[in-house]
Amino acid sequence: MKPYVVAYLGALAAVPAGLRCQQPGLTSQDSAFQALNRLAYGPRPGEVTRVAAAGVMQWIDRQLSPDRIDDDVLAQRERQFTLLDYDRGDLAAMYAEAQRERRDRKQSAAQQDTTPTPTQRKGRRLAGEFADLAVVRAVLSERQLYEVMVDFWFNHFNVYLAKGADRFLTPDYVEHTIRPHAMGKFADLLIATAKSPAMLFYLDNWESVAPGATPPAATRMGVRPFFGRRPLLFAPPGDPARMDSLRPRAAARQAKGLNENYARELLELHTLGVDGGYTQQDVIAVARIFTGWSIRRPQRGGDFEFHDWAHDRGEKQVLGVTFPEGHGMDEGIRLLKMLASHPATMHHVSRQLCQRFVNDDPPDGCVDDAVAAWKRSDGDIREVLRAIFHGPDFWAPENVRAKVKSPLEFVASAARAVGAEPDTSPRLAQVVARLGEPLYLHVAPDGYPEREDAWVNSGALLDRMNAAVALAAGKLPGLTVNLDAFPSGLDTEQLIGAVDAQILGGKMTENSKRVVRNQLSDIGDPVQARALAVGLAIGGPEFQRQ
Amino acid sequence: MSISRRVFVKSGGLALVSFGLDPLFLARAAFASSRPLPPSRALSRPILVCLFQRGAVDGLNMIVPHGDPLYYSERPRIAVPRSDVVDLDGYFGLHPRLAALKPLWDEKSLTALHAVGSPDATRSHFDAQDYMESGTPGVKATSDGWLNRYCQHDREHENTPFRAVAFGPQLPRILAGSAPSLAIEDLQAFGMRGPQPAGRDRLTRAFEELYAGSATGLLSTSSREAFEAVQTLKRLDPAQYRPADGVDYPRGRLGKALLEIAQLIKADVGLQVAFADATGWDTHVNQGASEGQLAARLDELGLALAAFARDLGARMRDVVVCTMSEFGRTVRENGNSGTDHGHATAMLVLGGPVNGGNMLGKWPGLDPAQRFEGRDVAVTTDFRDLFAELVSRHLGARDLGAIFPGFTADQARFPGVIRA
Repeated sequence: MKPYVVAYLGALAAVPAGLRCQQPGLTSQDSAFQALNRLAYGPRPGEVTRVAAAGVMQWIDRQLSPDRIDDDVLAQRERQFTLLDYDRGDLAAMYAEAQRERRDRKQSAAQQDTTPTPTQRKGRRLAGEFADLAVVRAVLSERQLYEVMVDFWFNHFNVYLAKGADRFLTPDYVEHTIRPHAMGKFADLLIATAKSPAMLFYLDNWESVAPGATPPAATRMGVRPFFGRRPLLFAPPGDPARMDSLRPRAAARQAKGLNENYARELLELHTLGVDGGYTQQDVIAVARIFTGWSIRRPQRGGDFEFHDWAHDRGEKQVLGVTFPEGHGMDEGIRLLKMLASHPATMHHVSRQLCQRFVNDDPPDGCVDDAVAAWKRSDGDIREVLRAIFHGPDFWAPENVRAKVKSPLEFVASAARAVGAEPDTSPRLAQVVARLGEPLYLHVAPDGYPEREDAWVNSGALLDRMNAAVALAAGKLPGLTVNLDAFPSGLDTEQLIGAVDAQILGGKMTENSKRVVRNQLSDIGDPVQARALAVGLAIGGPEFQRQ
Repeated sequence: MSISRRVFVKSGGLALVSFGLDPLFLARAAFASSRPLPPSRALSRPILVCLFQRGAVDGLNMIVPHGDPLYYSERPRIAVPRSDVVDLDGYFGLHPRLAALKPLWDEKSLTALHAVGSPDATRSHFDAQDYMESGTPGVKATSDGWLNRYCQHDREHENTPFRAVAFGPQLPRILAGSAPSLAIEDLQAFGMRGPQPAGRDRLTRAFEELYAGSATGLLSTSSREAFEAVQTLKRLDPAQYRPADGVDYPRGRLGKALLEIAQLIKADVGLQVAFADATGWDTHVNQGASEGQLAARLDELGLALAAFARDLGARMRDVVVCTMSEFGRTVRENGNSGTDHGHATAMLVLGGPVNGGNMLGKWPGLDPAQRFEGRDVAVTTDFRDLFAELVSRHLGARDLGAIFPGFTADQARFPGVIRA
């Protein structure tokens, strides 16, 4: 059977679903545009037509099963990222090596030498790769919804790359904590984050111990200092929050105590939500339950380790539920499972998903549908998402193009619109940073906000215009653009028509067409004209919406 | 650099309107008229600069109660030794790394308040910052910030594009709202970039037309503010700015933000409210005493504020700088030689109009019986009383109910940071 016949049959098969879900106001092209803007990082040239022809609901269902989508192009590109060849132990060793080089240099005659040492250079390159990899995946992956969810969950379970050991623990956190669980069960993801060295370090739980507990002598001996005052690797230049909270030698000499940090954010941000009905007493009880959840030799990039000696084995009460005395690590798992299926958690997380996919102020009906799916499926993220995409609110005219793209969404969608092929240099990630949301560098555990007023401001808008012009003109080093969708033989009207159809989903206003037409009037060079038209379209107001 | 004519006319009218209503303005007007000043100087008007110490600064190690033995017994490892404290009044003193601010105290343009905070008991950074910026503690539904509401309700001032400016990549909550406000990360890089001025102007015009005709909602207002600001900055040429002789701002984001605020103030572009923030105050682990993590942050703060005051020189007579932080930290040090989330903290207020040279606010003491929930410094000054005093007695706002909804401002409760 010929491919287009298959596509046709697919479109027919999708009709009932389409009728059920789509509003009469949306054409199949509009629906495809909406799906590609929200479940993906925007359409590539020709993609709206392809998805519309194949059936939008079918495309959505495919996106919900990322394992079944072939992603060879990305896999090939990922092989160029040497960062992925290093595990967190390697990165930790590199960090220690850079520290040693710096100390040596300080003691030698070369102390005026400010050029980076070889290890520092390597570390900086890998740090650049790390941020760039997120953008490259967003741009190139066929598993678009999966990449959107990786970004969503990292933000939900945020850690801060520039805090101490998180400089070498965060890449592992993305690869082995967030990515494997992004489309699975919420409870599994929650437990994975709770046990991840990156989170244990970021929210200080690794050194939270039952009051009065002291480590066995052998453990104390093994601790060595390994953080200097100044970050060398993976630290953004000029970052103000150079807070190394890791001073193991000093800490080990002293009696430690309970640290409530993880407990509080677990309840407030990761699960129940700030209005989830817990008290300060609950926070303390949760902190006691997680005493002993620690990291084995963090300076070497070690794994999760439960310290029995540090655990508070007394009885605790959380949200009215008794955790009887005498338990160890098992009560932490029990608590996480309890929190993962708590009604407040379902509502809190479902609401955030609806905020991401539907509207900054999500409609109650959408949240209710998501919560119902959560209950039915025991917290299966894919089923919760399916409920959102099949609900009427996702397709309602008032929610279509109602959201403004976040910095990452803008950069990735712009790169996709011009068929860009990014390499491993951090150029696109730097643009994301300049627009206000540097990757992995939101210092607070709440992650970047999901509301447009957090990123729409005059300075950031000007930066978007600048980035758009540079991108369209091929002046962003680190990526090649492919403007074949706009062949040089087009006259001005055809060029504007192509830009409207391929980049703006047919939503270009008459005013915008007039402005672009005026701008093109005195430009004879077709290549220059094309770059200007595309740059104005991507930097203009229509493209900022999704 | 002179200001555009429409602002001049508007502000000239304002002086007459305000004459009988605002004694402070009257005093300033009289001062301004008592000696010949260039026209731009005559336009001077009150400016408020807010600095947010995000992460909850340890007020007890910033403004040290060295006269209280409890301070030392509760903090065996992190207390600042009495011999290091820069004494202010025999009981309180500055952290040694804030020593650069002592001259401002001595010339009575710096005050400090202890025990300022929120009536809400939350120990969540996000909630507490949210409340301090929305100005409505305990109410999450408030969509705008109190500085923005001040701009909304004081309509006598011209909305120049630079009336309210936040220095940083994102507009903070405190300035979110319907009144125009600007987020600037770098004055020099603000605007369209490109090698040729003609090309830049052309692109600026094209995008201005695109947004004027096709943008909706927040995209529309933000872009309009952007293009107005671009025009003003083109005249200003910020690349040429040099601070006053001998003034050195510390490297880092805070120093740069204060330098650019000083630049805008001197350029008379209509700046009235400025905001900057600094992170790194969440010292749970090894915060240090006279030296260490917190000391390094305080060093930057003290040097940046001192440089700002020296750079502005005589212009400081119109400027008030206020630091704020979402809450304080526990009185007792924790098991990691740090401090955990507490309740009240200390704030600094400096500038020409400030009633400086003495401690303000009511000190509740460190006795466990006086503490909040037995562990934290209790709040004796609601932060809204401080902010309300700043916007009313310094900026001249009258409708405090609109700026702090649900709060009845009472002059009797003002801490008295602005000289009468």
